[in-house]
Amino acid sequence: MNDEKSEIMELGSQGNSGEIGYIVGGGLKANLQARLSVPAQTVQEGAFVVIESGGWLFYGLVTDLQLGSTDPRFADEQSEARLPTQLARMLHGQTLYTNLEILTALMMEQGPEPGTEEYDAWYQQVLDEQIRPEPVKTVPQHHAQVRLAQAGDIAEIFGKEGKGAFFRIGDTLEGGHPVCVDLDKLVQRSAGIFGATGTGKSFLTRVILSGLIHRDKTAVLIFDMHNEYGPDDTASDTGLRVPGLKNKFRNKVRMVGLGRGATIRGEQPDYTLEIAESDIAPEDVMMLAQELNLRETTPTTLEALRVSFGHESWFHEFKHMRVNAYQYDEEGKRYPAPDSVAAWAESAGVHPAAAEALHSKLRRLFNAPYIVEEPAANALKQMIDNLDNGQHVVLSFGKHETDLDYLFVSNLLTRRIRDVWERRTNDFRSGHQGASEPRPLVIVVEEAHKLLNREMASQTAFSTIAREMRKYYVTLLIIDQRPSQIYDEVMSQLGTRVTGWLGDSDDIHAVLTGLAGREALRGMLARLQPKEEVLMLGWGVPMPIVIRSRRYNEAFWDDLLGKQAGQSNEQIMKELGY
Amino acid sequence: MKQIAIGRLLRSGTTGFVVGCRVNQLDAPSFGALVRVPLASNYDVYGIIYDIHIEDDGLVRQLITAQDVPEEVLLDNRENRNVPVEIAVLALGYQQDERIYHLLPPRPPLSLDAIYLCTMEEVAKFTAVGRFGYFRHILRDPSRPIDELLAAHLLAARTAHEKVGNTRWYTDALTELIALLRDDYQSLMTVLNAAGEIE
Repeated sequence: MNDEKSEIMELGSQGNSGEIGYIVGGGLKANLQARLSVPAQTVQEGAFVVIESGGWLFYGLVTDLQLGSTDPRFADEQSEARLPTQLARMLHGQTLYTNLEILTALMMEQGPEPGTEEYDAWYQQVLDEQIRPEPVKTVPQHHAQVRLAQAGDIAEIFGKEGKGAFFRIGDTLEGGHPVCVDLDKLVQRSAGIFGATGTGKSFLTRVILSGLIHRDKTAVLIFDMHNEYGPDDTASDTGLRVPGLKNKFRNKVRMVGLGRGATIRGEQPDYTLEIAESDIAPEDVMMLAQELNLRETTPTTLEALRVSFGHESWFHEFKHMRVNAYQYDEEGKRYPAPDSVAAWAESAGVHPAAAEALHSKLRRLFNAPYIVEEPAANALKQMIDNLDNGQHVVLSFGKHETDLDYLFVSNLLTRRIRDVWERRTNDFRSGHQGASEPRPLVIVVEEAHKLLNREMASQTAFSTIAREMRKYYVTLLIIDQRPSQIYDEVMSQLGTRVTGWLGDSDDIHAVLTGLAGREALRGMLARLQPKEEVLMLGWGVPMPIVIRSRRYNEAFWDDLLGKQAGQSNEQIMKELGY
Repeated sequence: MKQIAIGRLLRSGTTGFVVGCRVNQLDAPSFGALVRVPLASNYDVYGIIYDIHIEDDGLVRQLITAQDVPEEVLLDNRENRNVPVEIAVLALGYQQDERIYHLLPPRPPLSLDAIYLCTMEEVAKFTAVGRFGYFRHILRDPSRPIDELLAAHLLAARTAHEKVGNTRWYTDALTELIALLRDDYQSLMTVLNAAGEIE
């Protein structure tokens, strides 16, 4: 404890320097205004600043910088042409200025004078987390000093790297101080990673997933539509090799291919997933209504199929029915062949044309090679077992990269897994003998707007998870470049949002929905650097902050796994599953 | 410390006074110079010269209109005038019991009190006290040539401070002036333009 205390005190002591200005106005609703006392280039939008006032520390973000003058004429006239250089410089120093707009988010008591007994008692309460930063409820005094946050301030707010579940996700823009996210808290509610294409979403997702897998408190299921998280990849911009999660967590990550004989970027998966025809429910087909352009008659037809053949056989039976198959009686009159769609439709009281149209539209599913009558193995059970046993699953879609494949498989699997987790949670909560607490599960969904758009959100298992499954130990990590396409109700349930640059105002609006100070954050989001800079905000982080995201490179892996060289035999055996 | 008397007091008030002097005393005082009036023991009033005024008298008028006036007569009338040269002084502060205040003096000087030009040391000492509080007396009355007066004062005071090794005084004084006048664009630019002449 003493070591930790002295270390944080040392970090904290760095916080006394670096004053950049003083408070001149503002309020809680309107942001605070501070007069900058250093060159404007010293501070950037998004900078994390600390205001010291009356025994309290206020933490905030710079949301704007504005040029001002005591009289507009001082700004209009180029007085350096009229006055000697030194005189002009002195004049500018007093009549021209830059104001900072600061969005304050948190405040914390500064505590007694360091070195006193009272300080030691107070500091112990801080270490025990009895005293924590709280949402800002008042304003600092006029002329309170403003300074850039130092490593100690950042650690106080966002946690210290390596302590507990705190995982470094990036660094502050000024000073490059580490900014951490509490991984355990992050997965308690659904989260989203957003950004236009090429802003580094995938790399940031890899970083977070690596942290979660390394932390090993949560199971992770990744629907890897573009085969980029499991196997090694090549960066499109630098051409450098990008290690996949399977490569780095060989024993913890199971790579699953879709369909028999699937290979992923030339690599053999740990096992393959085939979907039994009997696993497909009419609801799974309805999820594809938009993709398959299904008609309004489809629910009726599907219900008739289920009634005729049962829940497990309807798909198989319907698949093997013939279309446009007719027979003729002795009088030469044409009637539908007994194994035809039309014959079944007539017997079931369904319009034959509607049934035949549905059959035609489902042909893409009938022809999907990963849907089989009898799968060679129960891969779905194996996936659930893996997730139960401390392993993580990357389902790579391999060559099945169409939207149809992605929507159908991810939906169907999620529905099944959700049912399992829900049942287990209910057993655990109702005290069933032998029922243990379910392992928290994070389902990672790319191109989330395809599954969570306004039309589909109410029907998919994903929206249910986003809305309710936190109670059942399942949350989502959604990754998308068009957050405006995601249903508002789902967006509002996202606890933590990490977003890179977004060019579309609707997308920016969607990401900031329901957050305090969104007007101030809007401009900041639009002006993020196109690469690597991200804005973190929401429930999972104490306050919004712009960071330069951690680079996913060898140094990252050395940081994360480097200590493993010194693991004990016991730890190594545990990792191998013994 | 050599004291240079420049005249005697003609009339005075709390905010300033007028000094009369002979023409042959006129070499010493200059526009913008600091002056001191010793009143009683340990009580001196300080001021700044903001105007030097030479009134005509009846004889001068006649001489100007006369023709072929001998040079000796002109010289005699110039130096032995009936009407003294008037030097207007703005009160800037006072010294009492060795302490300098940039406040208006509690009591004005009396008629015929002797006025002395401040030495360089006195200028440096008076202007170094506090944070240029005496500037407000100079800036108070816009009817005076404030810009020129300040430029003349800054030049004289800068020389005095540099002599005692204080090179920051001038910058600090300008900074204070800018702070005092930054809400008055016209006045500030006029003052700075004048100050630019002595750079």
